[in-house]
Amino acid sequence: MTTSAHTVLPGARARTATATATVRRKQGFQHGGWFVAPFLALFALFVVWPLLRGVYLSFTDANISGDGANFVGLDNYREALHDQAMWDALGHSAYFTLLVVPCITLLAFLLAMLAHHIERGKWLWRLCFFVPFLLPSTVAANMFQWLFTQGIGLVNETFGITTPWLTDKSYAMIAIVIETLWWTVGFSFLLYLAALQGIPGHLYEAAKLDGANAWDRMVHITLPMLRNITGLVIALQVLASLQLFDQAVVMMDFGPGPELSTRSFVQYTLEQGFTSYRVGYASAMSIIFFVIIAVVALARMWLLRTREEGAR
Amino acid sequence: MGRPDLSRRHLLGAAGGLTVAASFGFAALGTGADALASGADTRVRYWNLFSGGDGANMIAMLDAFRHSHPDIDVKDSTLQWGNPFYTKLAMAAAGNRAPDLGVMHMGRVTGFSPGRLLDPWDVDLLAKYGVREQDYNPALWKRGVIDGKLYALPLDIHVQLCFYRKDVLGKAGLLGDDGRMIPVTSTDEWFDVLKKAKSAQKKGLQTIGLWTNDQNFQWWFFVAFYTQLGGKWFDDANTEVLFDPDKATQVLEFLRRHVTDGYVIPGAPTGEQFINGAPFTWEGNWSVPVFSGAKLDYGATPLPPVFGRQATHAESHAFVLPHQANRGGATNEGAHRLAAYVVTHALQWAAGGHIPAYTPTLSTAAYKKLTPQNEYVSAMDHQATEPKVWFAGSTGVLAQDLGPVVVSSTMGSAKPASVAQTMKKHLTKLLASKNPMDGRTAAQGGAVA
Repeated sequence: MTTSAHTVLPGARARTATATATVRRKQGFQHGGWFVAPFLALFALFVVWPLLRGVYLSFTDANISGDGANFVGLDNYREALHDQAMWDALGHSAYFTLLVVPCITLLAFLLAMLAHHIERGKWLWRLCFFVPFLLPSTVAANMFQWLFTQGIGLVNETFGITTPWLTDKSYAMIAIVIETLWWTVGFSFLLYLAALQGIPGHLYEAAKLDGANAWDRMVHITLPMLRNITGLVIALQVLASLQLFDQAVVMMDFGPGPELSTRSFVQYTLEQGFTSYRVGYASAMSIIFFVIIAVVALARMWLLRTREEGAR
Repeated sequence: MGRPDLSRRHLLGAAGGLTVAASFGFAALGTGADALASGADTRVRYWNLFSGGDGANMIAMLDAFRHSHPDIDVKDSTLQWGNPFYTKLAMAAAGNRAPDLGVMHMGRVTGFSPGRLLDPWDVDLLAKYGVREQDYNPALWKRGVIDGKLYALPLDIHVQLCFYRKDVLGKAGLLGDDGRMIPVTSTDEWFDVLKKAKSAQKKGLQTIGLWTNDQNFQWWFFVAFYTQLGGKWFDDANTEVLFDPDKATQVLEFLRRHVTDGYVIPGAPTGEQFINGAPFTWEGNWSVPVFSGAKLDYGATPLPPVFGRQATHAESHAFVLPHQANRGGATNEGAHRLAAYVVTHALQWAAGGHIPAYTPTLSTAAYKKLTPQNEYVSAMDHQATEPKVWFAGSTGVLAQDLGPVVVSSTMGSAKPASVAQTMKKHLTKLLASKNPMDGRTAAQGGAVA
C-alpha cells in the first residue's frame, strides 16, 4: 500500500489511509493480542467465569458440595432484602468506611507534607511511614490485638486506662480503624509524596516573588495541584474500606466482634457460604455487594466528570 | 487400593501425578506414589484437624501404628480446624476426592449428610479389630448412630472444666481433706467460693477466667448450665421448640453475675491469668498440657453443679468415613484398622487432656494415675450436648447464631430475659429451616438413633 501520494486522487488517498490504519490495527492485534492473551485468559478464568457462575448460583439453593441445586428464582434476593443481619453487616462496613476514609486521607497528606519538607533523614521518615504497609494483614492485626488486649496490652498500660478495646462494641471498630490507619496509610502517603514532588518548583518561586506567604502557597498552589490525587486516594480508600475483612476477623479472633459489632458484609457472606453452607444465598449477597461497589465506583467517575466539565 | 504394579509407565504417571499434586495440593492425584515409596501394600489417606499438643499426640499415635503395621502406609494431612476443615471435607466428599478416613466433631455428623457425604462404619470389621459397642458409654455411641447405622466412631470426649489453683484455694480454706476443691451445689455456694478465693488471691488479677466475650465458650457454658436445669431444646420429633426462656434467663443471669460482682475482667486472657495466679479459670480440657507444663499446683473438676445436678458441656472427636463412590477393599479395611488402633490405644491421647471414649482405657492403672484427668473423668457420665439436629455441633450454625446472643447478655448490653426470648426465636427459625446439604428440615432429617 505504498502508492506515492501525487499519483492518486484525494478520495482514493483518504481510502488508502483508512485501509492502512485497518491493517495497522490488525497487525497491532496480531502482536499486542498475543501479549495480552495470557492476561485475558486468566482474567476470563478467574474473574469473568466466577462472576457469571456466581450470578447463576445466586438463583439457586446450591450448597457447598455443589450438587443437588435447584433453581429458586429471586428467592435468595428477596430473603436478603429482609435479612436484618445482612443490613447490620453492611452498616458495619459502611461505618468503618466513614471513619477510615477521612482520617487516612488527612493523615496521608500531613505525613507526605512532613516527609517532603523535612531536610534531614528524609529516607528514614519515608521508610517509617511506608513500611507498615508491607506487612501481611494478619501480622499487623495480630500486633494490634496484643496492643489493645485488656489487662496486658501496651495501649492501656501506657496510658494507665482500662478501656475494653476489643470486647466492647463501642470500641471494637475504633480499634480496627486505628490498626487500619497505621497499617495502610503508607500507600496513600506514597501517592501524595509523589504528587508533591511533581509540583513544579517554579510555581512556588513565582508565588514567592509575588509576595505569597506559606499559607497562600499551600491554599493556592499545593492543594489545587493535589486535587486529582486526593480524588484518587479517596476513591481507592472507599473501595478498599468497604471490603473490610481480614484485619477485623483476625483482631476479633475470627469471630464477629463484641455483639456482632465488627461483622462486615464480606465476613457475613463468608459465614453464609462456608459455615451455613448456603452457597446460593452467599452468591446472591456477593452480587448485591458487587452492585453496591460498582455504584460507588460509577458515582465517583460521574462526580469527577461533572467536576472536570465544570472546571472547563 | 492394592499395590500398583511396577512398570515404567506407572512410575512416570506417578511422578507426574506427584508433581501436579504437589503444585495443587490435590490429595487424590497422588495415586499410589506414596505407597510405592514406602513399600506398603495399602495406603490410607487420613485427614484430621489436630494442631498444637493434640497434633503432636496424634502424630505419635500414627507413628506407633506405622511401626506395628508396616503393610499399611498412613498418609495424614492436618487441616485448619473449624469451618475451613468441614468445608474442605464436604467438597472433597462431594467431588469424590475424599480421604479414606477423617475426623469430625460428633455434633456435626448429623448435618453432614450421612449417607451422601459420609459412609457408615462396618461394625463387624471394627469388632474384628477390637472395637465394640459395649466398650463405649451408651449415650456417646448413640450420638454417632443415624438411621440405625454408625457414622461416627468416637475417639474422645472433651469438656469444659473448672480449673482451680490449689495454692490459692488452700489459703482461702476451700480445699477438702483430699486436697481437692470443696463441692459446690448451688449458685450461692459458688459465689461464696469466689468471694473467699478473691480475698486470698493476688491483686490485679481476675478471680475467674470466663471467656466472657468468646461466642463459643459462652455458648458451651450456656449449654452446660441449661442442661443442669433440665432444660430441653426440641421435642423428639424435632417439630416443636421446647426451649424454656425462664430457665435460660436463670442461666444467663448466673453468667452475667460473674461480671457484675467483679470476679471477671471482661476480655482478659483466661489461661495466662490462671498461670499468673488467678484462682479459677473455666477452660477446655485441652488446657491440661499447658497448665501441667507450667508446673502449676492445680486441679480440674467438671463445671460446678450450681443448679443442683451435674452436667458439663461435652463434644467429641470422632472418626468418620468420608463418602467415596467405591469405598471398600484393602484401603477401607486399613481405615477401619487405623481408627480402631487409635481408639484402643488412646492413653497417649488422654495425656492431652481428652477423656478417651473407649472405656477399657479408663480402667487401666496408667489412666487412673493421670492427674488431673482422673479428677474429671466422671464428666463422661453427665454430658451436656447440643441437640441432635443438622444445625448443631462445634462451630456450627447453632453456635454461630446463639453464641453472640449469650455474649451480649454476659457482657451486659442486653437483658438476660430478652436474650432468652431472642434465643427461642432463633431456635424456632432454625428448626423450620432446611439443611442446605439435603434440603430437609430437622423434622425430616432422619437423625434418629
